Amino acid sequence: MASDRRGGGRCWEWDSPHCRAQMDEIFFRPHDYIQAGSGEHKDFWAFFERFQRFKAKKEMSGSKDSKGRASSEGKPPKKAGGVDLGLPKEYDARYRINISVYTKDVEEKVLSSKHGHATSGSGKQEIADCRLALLHFLDFSQKQSFSKLAKLRREQKSLPIFQYRDKIVNLVKGHPVVVVAGDTGCGKSTQVPQYLLNSGFTNIACTQPRRIACISLAKRVSFESLNQYGSKVGYQIRFETTRTLATKLLFLTEGLLLRQIQQDHSLGQYQVLIVDEVHERHLHCDFLLGVLRSLTGLRPDLRLVLMSATINIKLFSEYFNNAPVLQVPGRLFPIQVIYQPIPAEEQSSKSEKLDPRPYLRVLQGIDQRYPAEERGDLLLFLSGVAEISTVLDACQIYATHTNRWIVLPLHSTLSLAQQDKVFDIPPPGVRKCIICTNIAETSVTIDGVRFVVDSGKVKEMSFDPKAKMQRLQEFWISRASSEQRKGRAGRTGPGVCYRLYSESDYDAFAPYPVPEIHRVALDSLVLQMKSMGLGDPRSFVFIDPPPAASIQTAVTYLKEQGALDARAELTPIGTLLAQLPVDVVIGKMLVLGSLFNLVEPVLTVAAALSVQSPFLRSAQHNPDCTTARQPLQSNQGDPFTLLNTFNAWVQVKGERGGGSRKWCRRRGLEEQRLYEMTNLRRQFKELLRSHELLEDEATSATTEQRSQRRDRLTERRRLHQLKRQHDLQEGGRRKVLKLGEGGEDLAGSSGSEEESSAGRGKKKEKDGAGESVDIQEVKFKLRHNVHELQEVANASQDLSSRQQCLLKLLLCRGLYPQLAAPDEHNATRKESEQIFHTRNKQGVVIHPTSVFASDPEVLHVPELERSEFGAEKGQSSRHQLLAFVTLLETNKPYVSNCVRVPALQALLLVANSVDSNADCTRMVVDGWLELCLSDGDGALRILSSALTLRGEWERLLQAQLSKHRAPRRELEKLGENLVRYLLYTEVSYSLCRLTALQTQNLYIGPQPDSALEGAPILNSLFPGVKAEPDQVKGGLRVTSFFTYNCLSDSKDLYSECLRTFWTCPHCDLHMPFTPLERMHHEATCRPGGEKQEDELESEKPVSSSTSSLARVYHCDLCGKDLTLTSTEILKHKRQHAVQQ
Amino acid sequence: MEGGGGGGEFSCRLCGLSTPFSYFGQKPPNTRAVVLLEESYVMKDPFSPDKEKFLVLGSSCSLCAKSVCVGTDCSLFYTRRFCLPCVKERLDQFPQQIQAEVAKKK
Ligand SMILES: [Zn+2]
Ligand SMILES: [Zn+2]
Repeated sequence: MASDRRGGGRCWEWDSPHCRAQMDEIFFRPHDYIQAGSGEHKDFWAFFERFQRFKAKKEMSGSKDSKGRASSEGKPPKKAGGVDLGLPKEYDARYRINISVYTKDVEEKVLSSKHGHATSGSGKQEIADCRLALLHFLDFSQKQSFSKLAKLRREQKSLPIFQYRDKIVNLVKGHPVVVVAGDTGCGKSTQVPQYLLNSGFTNIACTQPRRIACISLAKRVSFESLNQYGSKVGYQIRFETTRTLATKLLFLTEGLLLRQIQQDHSLGQYQVLIVDEVHERHLHCDFLLGVLRSLTGLRPDLRLVLMSATINIKLFSEYFNNAPVLQVPGRLFPIQVIYQPIPAEEQSSKSEKLDPRPYLRVLQGIDQRYPAEERGDLLLFLSGVAEISTVLDACQIYATHTNRWIVLPLHSTLSLAQQDKVFDIPPPGVRKCIICTNIAETSVTIDGVRFVVDSGKVKEMSFDPKAKMQRLQEFWISRASSEQRKGRAGRTGPGVCYRLYSESDYDAFAPYPVPEIHRVALDSLVLQMKSMGLGDPRSFVFIDPPPAASIQTAVTYLKEQGALDARAELTPIGTLLAQLPVDVVIGKMLVLGSLFNLVEPVLTVAAALSVQSPFLRSAQHNPDCTTARQPLQSNQGDPFTLLNTFNAWVQVKGERGGGSRKWCRRRGLEEQRLYEMTNLRRQFKELLRSHELLEDEATSATTEQRSQRRDRLTERRRLHQLKRQHDLQEGGRRKVLKLGEGGEDLAGSSGSEEESSAGRGKKKEKDGAGESVDIQEVKFKLRHNVHELQEVANASQDLSSRQQCLLKLLLCRGLYPQLAAPDEHNATRKESEQIFHTRNKQGVVIHPTSVFASDPEVLHVPELERSEFGAEKGQSSRHQLLAFVTLLETNKPYVSNCVRVPALQALLLVANSVDSNADCTRMVVDGWLELCLSDGDGALRILSSALTLRGEWERLLQAQLSKHRAPRRELEKLGENLVRYLLYTEVSYSLCRLTALQTQNLYIGPQPDSALEGAPILNSLFPGVKAEPDQVKGGLRVTSFFTYNCLSDSKDLYSECLRTFWTCPHCDLHMPFTPLERMHHEATCRPGGEKQEDELESEKPVSSSTSSLARVYHCDLCGKDLTLTSTEILKHKRQHAVQQ
Repeated sequence: MEGGGGGGEFSCRLCGLSTPFSYFGQKPPNTRAVVLLEESYVMKDPFSPDKEKFLVLGSSCSLCAKSVCVGTDCSLFYTRRFCLPCVKERLDQFPQQIQAEVAKKK
């Protein structure tokens, strides 16, 4: 070998493409282990160059002495061990490699063909060099992979839970339910599923409370089980799954497993269910445990494993018939606890801003006590976003003075990019100070934390059933949370935890946090329980049952919403709502939207209202963003702004693809939310279609040209490849933070960049992100057809004012009873002091993110009208109400996501309860809003059309729900009529809230006899509905929502003085009518042409039951006594009228 | 000695590393010109997206025949596989480079 060397490999030109091509022909043929053109092939040549350089260097410097020594010391050894191993005397690295490459046959072929036109030296040397490099390359990649494997196994072994491996497997084999309790860092979430998998269990499902955990666990576990490129381990979350037939272990969210139980009650697809993080006590998890508890009886073969932190373990074990508990110690380093209660003068009252001084002192203390070279970051727990920004500002100032800190906020309303920053690494000598909400208590784990500051406070959502309002309130945390926060300091080494409260405070804390089921509205839960056939929710055995009152509230609410009937059973619409993964009000919108030709915009709005707002709060104070957002805003309401935003974004996506990222940044939009909306609206669409509420679209594929389709397929293949490449990249490497970085200026910071340079901008962006592709864009393109979306967006972009009007009504009906009325005096108040009232909560304000917060005038009754001569006080035809999505009390009760609707029309069309006086000039809606009309004729006209419209709407809706799709023509007609009603009802009225006193004396109460008389008339007024005296309110219950003449100022039902002359516009009948008679006449006398066959048919049963409705009537004109129904009486009278 | 086939659990007698293997022998499937110089426990390289890439887990010590992994703490290859205890026993027969290497480990 030594003789072969002619000055190393440098003499032949290994960078010449020709030379390389020849080597490729020998070593990297199309079927070889490494193929020319592959990634590894490229790696090899890079390796080759390094290898040659290394060899050359070694020869230059050390060839003489190392070789000299080798030959002298390599002399026959002493043979002390007895056996001669017969090892080569001269050391060569080649002998260390256990791989060989046979290419003799090919070599000869190549060499012989080369001899003809020899170009450079003898090929043998080149081949030898290349082979040697290849061997080293193969050996190198073997070593690399093996050390990965060894490291992996070492780490697995070092986890505290590793010692319990066999015990866990045996417990699960022997018991239907097992509880595994272990603290953070013991490895239960990653290891237990693997232990079970390795011991022969298959079809394992492991639930997680958070989607993100499903993804990261699936990734980690598939890596650890050496199957990262297979699908043995997968995840399934709302819009994404990696599950295949080969999947044996599946991570999924609790909510998703519940949905699967809805489909398949016995969960036959799983052998083992692992419910992780049960101690977090989320609503879904508590419910899931309840469902699984009854499932264990049904499926004795099923294995259930509950995994929990070491919190309240007994509770879980006892709930499952004293299931065995295996407790695993955590791996926490010692943590020093320092109690530093905040002195009285620095404690802030509820209304004041938080005093940041106690927090600053901790930072200063750390700087004094711990040398900067000793690494370790700080995690500071505060209760809410406002508190975070106060302390952030103060710490920021301190940081710029000392140059020893980088201060970063962390809470869920930040953009994802900003949230992600907390994982970046500070430069040496600088510490990260992460100021966070309790999001970092369990959901987000940040490595390298050594110091924890715990304010002891948390803001938690609770539901106030009386005010029907969510409330975000500050509480002391529990001891369990306190320990959890402390533990964050001891994950990577010994740590320190500063508690800004006293030890006696700590002792007074509640032991555990209040489980979610005790805090939130249970509407969705009850609905889901009903649809799963779990019987009376009050008798369901929860691990910790919610108060009966809150179940009752939910049942009542669902009845109000029409999801449950009077017997608390699911209605058809309720059945459907139970399957939609959204709030009941949003689900209602979807169903209503499917009826009219407004599906696309309703889908978008429903999706938009179901995800976090894409508008970043932090960008609200950025004037560039505000300006850029301006064109998207709609003063019809926030759902319309969201609709505009989505549509505009889709257009941008269609036109310049990845350029949308920049477009979003300029407007302070979180693009991720828009992607979520796209996914969600598609899911909604599929759900509606699967319930036959939507016709199958004529697929555009049929009209697509063949070439277009081919292009699309090529594009898809390319996208798939991009996604694959992205998936293979082991999570991006962490960036190093710069001093002065952080703060909240990320959003819109690049807003000043020219948008017109979108093409260039895209490239620049790519560089910035380290050549990574925008994976969201890729996924979006794979999942959705941009052009189809564009068409949809186009259609809903140019809604006519009529369509807009109908859409508002649909939203309003969906959101009902979430309505707010403006305060009477708003017009005279400052912009910032506008007040609204809901039925159950007085004095709510509009959230600053709403369009109505900045533009409240559109809600005022026009000035002109108010001062109009002769108009009574408060009378107008322009009163408006707000329908809203959320009512949340923080420091004030705020309504957000509002849409404005015309008050009278909307109320009459959607309200559950409308009560009137005798001439219908006074109406009370839902017992809290009073409408007074001065024009009696107008009042009747309006009420009567509302009743007709609602009857028709309900009929068509029921038809749609029972899968007999209503005829399009009828739907269109109804749509038109509703719009006409909304737009062209011109009547003056006043809109007031009732006072407490008025509410008390609202109704006349049941009347003994006289009221009964009207019953037959009303009966025929609305066929099929039995009008009866209302036993509570008095008066007559005309429809399920309308009670006539029950208000206490009402006059007698048939008192003659109420009769006024009236001419029927249809039949020209002119005679005195009572209001009821008039309504009745109007309902039955419609222009002949308008009558439809089915309507005529539906009238038949009424006339056949004449006997019960008829009464004895004495006609004064012909002197006869007749037995007639009221309709017939009118007809009879009309005969005389015509004759005269 | 064309071994072949197999499948089962490979376990290193020295460090306990344990992992399923899919092939035992000198010529893993689909490796073309590449051959192994010892009969080895082989699996598909779990860290490569390429299905054809293999990973040698270990083999038997040429002296004591114990199954050992290829990790440098357990064995070394010098024309043949030697488990580290066997190397140490006959350290003097190994070239100086290896002697230094082994000494560094102690
Ligand atoms: Zn070993
Ligand atoms: Zn040995």
